Amino acid sequence: MKKKMNLSPIFFVGPHIILFIVFILLPSLYGIYASFTQWNLVGDPVWVGLDNYKTILFDQDSTFHYQFINGMKNTFIFVGISVPLMIIIPLLIAVALEHKGVKMKSFFQSIIYVPGLISISAAALIWSLIFNKQLGVVNNLFGSDTVWSATQPFAWIVIFVITIWAGVGGNMIIYRASINGVPKDLYESAQIDGAGPIRQFFSITLPSIRFPLIYTLVMTTAGAFNVFAQPLMMTAGGPRQGTTVLMMYIRDLAFSSGESIAGIASAMAVLLGVVILIISALQYYLMNRNAS
Amino acid sequence: MKKIMMILFVSLIAIGLAGCSSDENVIEFWTPLTGDDGAYMNELVDEYNEQSEQELEIKHVITSDMYTKLYTVMNSGSGIPDLTLIHADRVPSFAKQDLLEPMTSIMEAQSELNEDNYLSEAWTAGIVDGTQYTIPLDIHGSAMYYNKDLLAKYGVEHFLDDDIVTYDEMLSLEGKLDEGDYVVNDALMGWVILAQIQNLGGDIQIDGEPAVNTPEMKQAIEQTKAIADAGLMTPYGEDGYLMFQSGNVLFSTDGTWSSTGHAQVESLNFGVTNIYSFEPDTFHNRASSHLFSMMNNEERTDEKEAVIGDFLEYIRENSIKWAEAGQIVASKEVNESPEYEKYMQSFFTKNEAEEDSLHIYTYEHYPYVAEAIDTYIADLVHGEMDIDEGLKEMQKVVDDKVAEGSLDIENAETDAEE
Repeated sequence: MKKKMNLSPIFFVGPHIILFIVFILLPSLYGIYASFTQWNLVGDPVWVGLDNYKTILFDQDSTFHYQFINGMKNTFIFVGISVPLMIIIPLLIAVALEHKGVKMKSFFQSIIYVPGLISISAAALIWSLIFNKQLGVVNNLFGSDTVWSATQPFAWIVIFVITIWAGVGGNMIIYRASINGVPKDLYESAQIDGAGPIRQFFSITLPSIRFPLIYTLVMTTAGAFNVFAQPLMMTAGGPRQGTTVLMMYIRDLAFSSGESIAGIASAMAVLLGVVILIISALQYYLMNRNAS
Repeated sequence: MKKIMMILFVSLIAIGLAGCSSDENVIEFWTPLTGDDGAYMNELVDEYNEQSEQELEIKHVITSDMYTKLYTVMNSGSGIPDLTLIHADRVPSFAKQDLLEPMTSIMEAQSELNEDNYLSEAWTAGIVDGTQYTIPLDIHGSAMYYNKDLLAKYGVEHFLDDDIVTYDEMLSLEGKLDEGDYVVNDALMGWVILAQIQNLGGDIQIDGEPAVNTPEMKQAIEQTKAIADAGLMTPYGEDGYLMFQSGNVLFSTDGTWSSTGHAQVESLNFGVTNIYSFEPDTFHNRASSHLFSMMNNEERTDEKEAVIGDFLEYIRENSIKWAEAGQIVASKEVNESPEYEKYMQSFFTKNEAEEDSLHIYTYEHYPYVAEAIDTYIADLVHGEMDIDEGLKEMQKVVDDKVAEGSLDIENAETDAEE
């Protein structure tokens, strides 16, 4: 009997596949191709082989080398500090909300989650007023005299505050949902065995939510590497390019008012992608190995 | 059932794709005008469409990242808008890349669209190698607002007698201001420096090569830094624009369009004058311009070009509405009309000297130079970075970008072949 091909699955995954190919796969491939060319976005790209990568990575005199190193350094600072906070704080909140004594859990959950729904640009405007030296709540309340966005380390602190404010909600929801899925009898038997709350957290909660933890860690890290709006809106990359992250340089090179330098920008983007890929794979491997 | 789904799916895609193709009965007019500016332009376009007897209508499309989209459509060759509003600093590089269609046929059809009827600086910003690529809508640029109440409080209204506030006049207030008051803010500082370069007789290019690390640039930055060092400039990183609006700053160096924003602050009693200068007899205000242009497109019909010409002529006669957005309207018919005088920016067209003070940089690599200045200027003026070191870095950044960004494609291909 002739086997009839079942087309239904294609209709379910089809739209996603098409969107993925059109908006992610093809642009990515073209971006990788562009990184080997010199291109102004209008004319035809001119193949230059590995020249862009050589310039970015090894030509110490080049502006693009400086931009890449400085942008990468600042991006790593952002990732290194924000990712642990974006994992630990939501986890603590999620666990705290599980306590029997906490009333109006959904209310608190909503309050923490809502900032993530606000556009980051609108939020940045509000926060820049909060941190404004003259008009801001922070300086008036604490009587401080700091120009937040123009002095280190305060410029970074402002960026972290808005990032965490906007970002903890999403991870917290995931942790809450997964903690709810942990069987209650595990906790009960642990209690009977005399385990305290801290012991329960490390021995039951954490291992039980291993996969959500890996997932949030990988996604938060990848997201953090792509940071752009917060430093752009809050500090404009200053002081002295101290908070200019790599994405800001990439965007400036490719899409600012001068003729586009898309080849170098693409090469920087590819290198950033490679770093994200390596670190995500490493995280996944380490967490999986330790957990099993 | 499957067949029905398949048909539905295909037709959905077909509808989606059909939406991409351009409409032959509409003139697509792209602008980067977001916010209030876009609303004023909408009104102008609507008014034109209402009175027009042409069959084709102008459709105003606001695209916030218009230039990126322009590059995309020019690269793909489809969906190219019929008319665009671009900034003056884009013209040289667009013309060099052969992206613009000359306005020759439009000007032939509409005899009033000529140099005599527009502000000369705006008109010439559209000329590259003797070809007219654009018709101007406005000039918008640096302007210095003053707080009338504060000038009176410190008894320095005479600063404005000759319409020029000098560095020396500002420095004379050292030690005389109440705590929390400042003489000038650091808003749009890059533009102020670009004006000073003109005041000092310098330029941002020498024989076509970018010139950032120049004696004029250094002098301009040092002199401006002297104001900051004397404690007369709003401090580093603070919102000087907001401080002017809250009544703590005598002078604010921002843009012509800010007059509408300042006017909304009830307690602010303000006026407008030129950007400060070294000497009372030499002054400039760095400016830019919104220019109507046509991107190269073989599919643009003669009929469409005729309507575009008609529209530009209508704008020339009726763009008083554009003055409400705080812009210096380029059309002389408008900016010489009595009605225009009530707008604050008419200050910049009140006489020939003022018109001459408006300076638009038309150097091909101006955008790279301006970007470098904007990146470094606050750090340099506020003493966060050594000026010589900063100038060297700025020059290097611009040189590297020019070398990388202005690739002569034909040569590169030859090199590769060799």
